[in-house]
Amino acid sequence: MRTISTLLTCALILACVSGAVAKDKVYGEGVTGTELVKVSDLLASPDDYIGKTVRVKGTAVGVCAHRGCWVTIAGDKEGETVRVKVKDGVIVFPADIKGDTLIAEGVWTANELTMEQTKKVCAAEAEKHGEEFDEDEVSSCMTLYQITGTGAVVVE
Amino acid sequence: MRKFRKICRTLHRELGFLAVGLTLVYAISGIAVNHAHHWDANYSRTLEQFTIEAPGTGPTDLIKPLVMEQLAIEGPIKSTWRAAPDRFQIFQDGVEYDVNLVTGEVAQHGFARRSLFYDLNFMHLNSGKAPWTGIADVYAGILCVLSLTGIWLVRGGKGLKGRGGVMMALGVALPLIYAVVARAGG
Repeated sequence: MRTISTLLTCALILACVSGAVAKDKVYGEGVTGTELVKVSDLLASPDDYIGKTVRVKGTAVGVCAHRGCWVTIAGDKEGETVRVKVKDGVIVFPADIKGDTLIAEGVWTANELTMEQTKKVCAAEAEKHGEEFDEDEVSSCMTLYQITGTGAVVVE
Repeated sequence: MRKFRKICRTLHRELGFLAVGLTLVYAISGIAVNHAHHWDANYSRTLEQFTIEAPGTGPTDLIKPLVMEQLAIEGPIKSTWRAAPDRFQIFQDGVEYDVNLVTGEVAQHGFARRSLFYDLNFMHLNSGKAPWTGIADVYAGILCVLSLTGIWLVRGGKGLKGRGGVMMALGVALPLIYAVVARAGG
């Protein structure tokens, strides 16, 4: 029994060490291809890419502070970003990924918001920018586009 | 039965020693994760706000050196980003500067991994995936063995037929009652 216990302990320690060394900068399934789509192209004609697997490259400029369940990637044009949303707990982006160059892969998806959701998003945006918000000015529902991410790689 | 109890005792003792470290990892991190809405267990964060001379909203090539000169940042810069016509961001390891180009207001966000909790949570939430998935599965199996062998360690009034049985019933009833109440509450 002591032999088994000792062997199990050794196996655990070895596994911990190898796990700490391996795959430091690969998240989830990583990326499976090399062809990249420009963020500006995605945003210029978002409906053309719905349901397609896309890969984007850019600086990570935002990350979910609570669970690391999304990261925002800066586009090739100033001010343009795309959000890569991953399943909670499946991939966890650390806070210090901000500023790193990232290639992320996933399926481009469109989420149609209800009028109530649209107003909430608009209110949050207005608050973020210190602007006044009048919900009566919201006349149409919003569609949020994002990448449902399966993996990402930090590149130098 | 005596032989069975001896096997249980041996398993419980040996696996119990083996499980000490992992139990502490999951227990300490469990408390931290439970209270994640009160306290960021992974990172310590700071915020300093100050003002520089407003660089204006000109082309990024022009305003970037102006901002850099005024901030006098030390250490390597990971990247910069013109987030909006009036907003410029600078990223370093553990620091992010958010500059309002119109007002000159700067928010300096600092963050650092909490040395112990970050690692504990990393393991608890299985952020690294394999090989920790295997380790966690083995540990879960060990916990099952510990709980089942523990039932048979003590005989008599303090064992399963006495106080031990009552304690075990309470321990089983608690999650069952909670599950029923939670489901009833939707």
